[in-house]
Amino acid sequence: MSQHAMQHAEDFRAGHALGLDHRKLGMWFFIASEVMFFGGLLAAFLHYKYTLGFPETAELNVVLVGINTMVLLTSSYTVVSALTAIRQGRQGRFIALLLLTILLGVAFLSGQIYEFADLYRQGVTLTSGVFGSSFFTLTGFHGLHVAAGVLWAIVTLFRGLRGTLNAEHNMAVEIFGLYWHFVDIVWIVLFTQIYLIV
Amino acid sequence: MQGSATRPEKSRPSYGVIFLGLVVLTVIELGINVLRILPPLSTALYLLFSGLKVALVAAFYMHLRKDSRLYTAVFVLPVLLLLVFALLTIAI
Amino acid sequence: MTTASASASWRRYFWWNTDHKVIGVQYIVTSFFFFILGGALAGLVRAELASPATDLLDGATYNQVMTNHGTLMIFLWILPVLAGFGNYLIPLMIGARDMVFPRLNALSYWMIPPAGMLMIASFFAGGAEAGWTAYVPLSIGGPPGQTLWALSVMLLGISAIFGAINFMTTIIMMRAPGLSFWRLPLFVWGMIATSTLILTATPVLTSGLIMVALDRVVGTHFFTVTSGGDPVLWQNLFWFYSHPAVYIMILPAMGIISEIFPVFARKPIFGYRMIAMSSMAIAILGLTVWAHHMFTSGMDPRLRVPYMVSSMVIAVPTGIKIFSWLATIWYGKLRFTTPMLFALGFISMFLIGGLTGIFLAAIPVDLHVHDTYFVVAHLHFVLFGGSVSAVYAGLYYWFPKITGRMYDEKIGRTHFALNFIGTNLAYLPMFIAGLMGMPRRVSAYDVSFTSYNQLATLGALILAASTLPFLYNAVLSWARGPKAAANPWQALTLEWQTSSPPPPENFPEIPTATGDPYDYGEPSAPAAEPAAAPAAG
Repeated sequence: MSQHAMQHAEDFRAGHALGLDHRKLGMWFFIASEVMFFGGLLAAFLHYKYTLGFPETAELNVVLVGINTMVLLTSSYTVVSALTAIRQGRQGRFIALLLLTILLGVAFLSGQIYEFADLYRQGVTLTSGVFGSSFFTLTGFHGLHVAAGVLWAIVTLFRGLRGTLNAEHNMAVEIFGLYWHFVDIVWIVLFTQIYLIV
Repeated sequence: MQGSATRPEKSRPSYGVIFLGLVVLTVIELGINVLRILPPLSTALYLLFSGLKVALVAAFYMHLRKDSRLYTAVFVLPVLLLLVFALLTIAI
Repeated sequence: MTTASASASWRRYFWWNTDHKVIGVQYIVTSFFFFILGGALAGLVRAELASPATDLLDGATYNQVMTNHGTLMIFLWILPVLAGFGNYLIPLMIGARDMVFPRLNALSYWMIPPAGMLMIASFFAGGAEAGWTAYVPLSIGGPPGQTLWALSVMLLGISAIFGAINFMTTIIMMRAPGLSFWRLPLFVWGMIATSTLILTATPVLTSGLIMVALDRVVGTHFFTVTSGGDPVLWQNLFWFYSHPAVYIMILPAMGIISEIFPVFARKPIFGYRMIAMSSMAIAILGLTVWAHHMFTSGMDPRLRVPYMVSSMVIAVPTGIKIFSWLATIWYGKLRFTTPMLFALGFISMFLIGGLTGIFLAAIPVDLHVHDTYFVVAHLHFVLFGGSVSAVYAGLYYWFPKITGRMYDEKIGRTHFALNFIGTNLAYLPMFIAGLMGMPRRVSAYDVSFTSYNQLATLGALILAASTLPFLYNAVLSWARGPKAAANPWQALTLEWQTSSPPPPENFPEIPTATGDPYDYGEPSAPAAEPAAAPAAG
């Protein structure tokens, strides 16, 4: 097992000169791939929406999901505020805001589950037709990403409690934030394309 | 070394102001829906507002506005590519 | 090297190891195993096709053999072996000690053996029969192995995406002092272009494979025709990745060729910036032309012409590269080493493949030759005559660097001769058979195509035989060949400015780049100043 590649700041000289951080850059490349992944799922949904037509859209509860959308938007606000807090050394405020983020994320997921259950009751399921298949797959994968984000937030919370993350070392919080905001952005697009635009 | 070298700090809107903007846009969208405003006007407005919301989150919460432009390119170019792919996939 | 470290050294290739040099070798050796497996399947195909009737295998088995031949060669041989070169060479070429994310790198590699085993298992579970393109609805209803096939390809895609994140971030962040982008070796430029494609195109295939898997396993209706499912949707999702995939399969190979010609012509590369920018142009254009695989699918006819035009435009940056390579070797002091021979073979055979690609891009031509052996010939000339030649060229060229030993030149030349003759004999007749109307993916064909098929089978036999001198040379030279110097080719790129093999930390001190990497025969400053003279061996 080679231990030779212990990384030092000077290894990243070239990137730093361009104003880049390697962890941020890596995360942005990951986000680029996720854009295309959700893009494929969304393209399938939209293809069928605009060629076959989706009468099931009438069953969707726009206002409820609109409120859920607000929940996720709020969580982006709490995440970025948490980052500011930890950069200012306000550890307690950081913990509180992260906790709030987790709660909001769980609330969003609960809202989704409620919406899914409601649709199932109306006969719109994963296997009930093209709409069900593409809708549940698209929103389902988004929900999985939110769930993964919640887990990541919990890990980040513990690292904050332990003090591993603090005013000097908090890039991990920013990286987590980038992921969380991206998942929020995906939802903004999905909400518009699935629920709002008919 | 923590943060990336950022462009000089101009005075920027606070995160709270951005949040307010996001909420307002969402409320307007729901209003358009509840008031049953019809396409193509509703569609155009939805696209515009969702685009604005995405831009706000990306520019301010994800710090694209003050960070290196390379991050912006890494994000925006796939989005454009996706737009081309989605439009053609819908059409073909 | 002491005996203790020598025996420890071979063991580390079988475990988790975050050293990019170990990972690179793991990629290359594992891929080569699948190359042999895919080749064996090709042998079965050619054995069946030696006679017009379906006599050796039954139809379904033939379809499985044909499907897995293509799948193994693309997803488990050429894509990962090129990633292996990227892994081994990028940090060395940019003067870094390792990749930015060494553990992610190891993870990328270790996703491949399980994916490979899934793929092999699928063959025994009722193998996928729908071709490597897995068109729906055929792939939705087919044998159980198709699901494992889809899972395997998904896993490989994710591995590739992680690899691309690593490559891009490393190249941007970790270049040695003085190594501006315009001083990067062209192989690195090729990897930048390739990584761009992997990041943007692969996830779309992943999404499509998820839809196929869900349809098969859970009963969703993405592609069930009776529910309104659209087979063309799959084609869009599939080809949006798989067309850029062919550039993922050729751009690193072209990068290898760009490394080799200046060294063995002892001349600076002609048109360095044009070649670098052509790589990027090919990548970006390549993302927009996928529907040229769908001309006969019933797609909107008005959309076909733009795809035709854009596909033909890709010939321009490709042609720029070929002319630049020719200009590089023009009046050069040529050394016909094995890598150089394979590089020269690459030009002629890739040219045939590339030119026939322009034929295929023309809609009226494609309508006649789509799904005929014309396409099979085209793809084998670019992939086998092209990419595989370049892989062999690279294996010989960097053999001393990786193993610390020299291969046998005479056996290498024998390998080249057999490979060149075999390739042309196997695939040239297929052009004619295709033009005359022989369809692809059939185990039985009209008697009028017999002589072409027999020639092709003979060529395949020669190709099979040609791997033997290569394996013999590789294994024996690695074990017992003469020790290699740090820079046996007198090359200027940074990987040659350290020992063969490099020490674990790659460079005793990070070098500083002071000149261009291909200034052969120029009286300018050397390309880099190593801080300490590297020891040989």
